[in-house]
Amino acid sequence: MKHPIPKDRPVIARLEGCTKRYPGVLALDSADFELREGQVRALLGKNGAGKSTLIRLLTGAEEPDTGTVTIDDTPLSASGAQRAAEAYGHGVRVVYQELSLVPDMSVAENLFLGRWPGRGGMIDMTALHQEAREALDSLGLDIDPDQPVSSLSPAERQLVEIARVLPGKPRMVILDEPTSSLADAEARKVLAAVDRISAAGIAVVYVSHRMNEIRQIADSVTVMRDGRIIETVDVEGADTQEIVRLMLGASGKEHAAVVPAQPGPEILRVDALSVHPKIADVSFSLRAGQVLGIAGLLGSGRTEILEAIMGVRPASGGSVSVDGKPISGRHFRKMKGLGFGFTPESRKDAGIVPLLGVDENTIATDWSSVTRSGVLQPGLIAEATRRVIERLHVKTARTDSAISTLSGGNQQKVVIGRWVHAGSRVLLLDEPTRGVDVEAKAQIYQIVRELAAEGKAVLFVSSEIEELPLVCDRVLVLREGRIAEEMAAPDIHQDAIFAACLASDAA
Amino acid sequence: MSRLGKHMNELSLFAAIVLLYIIFGLTADGFLSFYNQTNILRDAATIGIAAWAATLIIIAGDIDVSTGPMVAFISVILAYLIQWGVPTVGAFVLAIVLGGLLGSIAGVLRAYFDVPSFVATLGLWSALRGLSLYFTDALPVSIGRNDIVDMLDRPIFGLPPAAIIMIVLFAVFWFVSKRTAFGRSVFAVGGNAQAAFLSGINVRRIRVTIFVLAGMMAAISGMLLLARLGSGNATAASGLEFDVIAAVVVGGTALSGGRGSMLGTLLGVLVITLIGNGLILLGINAFIQEVVRGIIIVAAVLANIYAIKRGAAKKG
Repeated sequence: MKHPIPKDRPVIARLEGCTKRYPGVLALDSADFELREGQVRALLGKNGAGKSTLIRLLTGAEEPDTGTVTIDDTPLSASGAQRAAEAYGHGVRVVYQELSLVPDMSVAENLFLGRWPGRGGMIDMTALHQEAREALDSLGLDIDPDQPVSSLSPAERQLVEIARVLPGKPRMVILDEPTSSLADAEARKVLAAVDRISAAGIAVVYVSHRMNEIRQIADSVTVMRDGRIIETVDVEGADTQEIVRLMLGASGKEHAAVVPAQPGPEILRVDALSVHPKIADVSFSLRAGQVLGIAGLLGSGRTEILEAIMGVRPASGGSVSVDGKPISGRHFRKMKGLGFGFTPESRKDAGIVPLLGVDENTIATDWSSVTRSGVLQPGLIAEATRRVIERLHVKTARTDSAISTLSGGNQQKVVIGRWVHAGSRVLLLDEPTRGVDVEAKAQIYQIVRELAAEGKAVLFVSSEIEELPLVCDRVLVLREGRIAEEMAAPDIHQDAIFAACLASDAA
Repeated sequence: MSRLGKHMNELSLFAAIVLLYIIFGLTADGFLSFYNQTNILRDAATIGIAAWAATLIIIAGDIDVSTGPMVAFISVILAYLIQWGVPTVGAFVLAIVLGGLLGSIAGVLRAYFDVPSFVATLGLWSALRGLSLYFTDALPVSIGRNDIVDMLDRPIFGLPPAAIIMIVLFAVFWFVSKRTAFGRSVFAVGGNAQAAFLSGINVRRIRVTIFVLAGMMAAISGMLLLARLGSGNATAASGLEFDVIAAVVVGGTALSGGRGSMLGTLLGVLVITLIGNGLILLGINAFIQEVVRGIIIVAAVLANIYAIKRGAAKKG
């Protein structure tokens, strides 16, 4: 935890009475915001609270309808693309959530993408290497600048993204959920890098949903809700419950821990499953009405297990039985036919079809129930979609709104909902709460419990360890490709899971 | 977006068509004559029939550059079949089957062997043009008098049969693209193939099917070409693939896949055909016509991109 920054430090960024309106939405409502040199300000709020709009105003990507944005004592005056260039000139840098590196180019080339040192179109490779080394060193990173980005781990890629904003005297760096896709141990490296940035006197805006991270690196927190800045408080002495309450408004409520129900018959049995080289000798069984959690660090092989069961990835050994019968020659549609549903880890890359509506994203798993003699029935589609929307509390204006207009949490509910539409009895959920706000997370836990109560069997993979005790009847902890430990409700505890994940990781 | 905003693309294309009618109507003699209007429809059919299938291919995120040689090849094979005394209707059926088979080559290469569709169809483009030239020595293959074939070029109630076939097929493709699981799956595959696969959509089958459809449409165009020229012709339909792609793209279908509409393509086909027809009537130098056409195509797409960007900026 950081102490509050003295008030006599120079102000780097200031918003005064900024309002921004998009058609039908008041995205930002007369916001005042101030950030001083060396400050690390956490920005907290549910999806749609106005965080992105605030950031876009700071970077000059958008102009406020009313109000002023001042960077380094100069009010931004340009409009359009010029405005972003103006903010950049004053030292505003952003590290986005989506990675924007070129995988097949080297780390050094990526760090200076398009601004390579050299003259007359010739790149000075020595200078490039040296400057890259300096940028990496300044963050304390042990990454070879000549190695291709494609060979880096996700955490290392994120660190390269951060290192990229350092050349050219930045005054303020904005990080938009830099750790959302990282496991806890890896996230720490990113936090260490942020610490170094702020130690150099650079102001930092840090968007995150993870409270413990915020406590580690930020000195103050700005909480947003419904387009308004609710409050800015010092992290020192702030109570987590209080911050969550500010964020959620009146609706913040505690979620009860799982009370294990009487499980039904065994549906899925996995015996000695191996996926070379990630998974070795994994066995477990899953009964109807049960939620089985799979915990483990990023790269521990969680996704591989689900993919091997679904037949998306070939298994190198072992067997998978459904209803007691071994299933060989598994492929996705065969498993779907057996009543299996799968939601992928990356919602954006593999989950949604962004240009299509909520309706078509929902019914894509089963067209036949909304088709009469080969013709799709708009009435039936709307009805089927509405059923899923109501069941899973999806917030959408219409059944045919483009899914890309929904918040991440609501998109995820649709991705789960399409398997409810298909009537699947076994759901394999890979990181269903990744990048989703607190409220939607709680709703997803509740939905998963409800589905289990109806007799569905659920495999729940998560790297957010604190959520497993809230959802799972049993938890398997995966370490180095094997099952290291197994726990059953009500004896599932975060700290035990966390310890089991890390146990021999130091070796 | 409002209901009107959703159809901005179609509305602006419609406005472009009206504008072209006014300009050519005032400047080009005989442009508005009934005879010329039926000509326009017949020319539109040449591009349109192939363009319906091409729209599905492009929405699915693929491309087909084999259209021209495929049409010519099938017209040649049809002419031989008829010369050899195969009953005309039977020959037509065989031609459509052949078109489907040829299309499936590209589709299978794309779907099962991950050959980019541009490369797969470029291969077909070259091979089919070469084969038809080899079979015919670049000479027309005459079929003599044939009542059924001739019927395909005889106006019905003043309308060229090609235009009627085009309109009927348009209705079919419009319906398929909007109201069938297959049609909507094409959009899903083009919008996010991985997500489509993980929803249980048979992505490979969809990909093969759209190329089979394109082959079948090329076969129908080949029949109409045969009827129009009275012979199979290895060098005909040269450059047709680019007119087809231009029409689809001008119609607002995104080359990156996932977005597009049959109605847009219909209007795109009309724009391309009107430009061609009007420039000829104006008696502009044939080479300069190509230049003007190129400029208009790029300008139309540019306007469309600009409109989409503005729409996106508004949404934030």
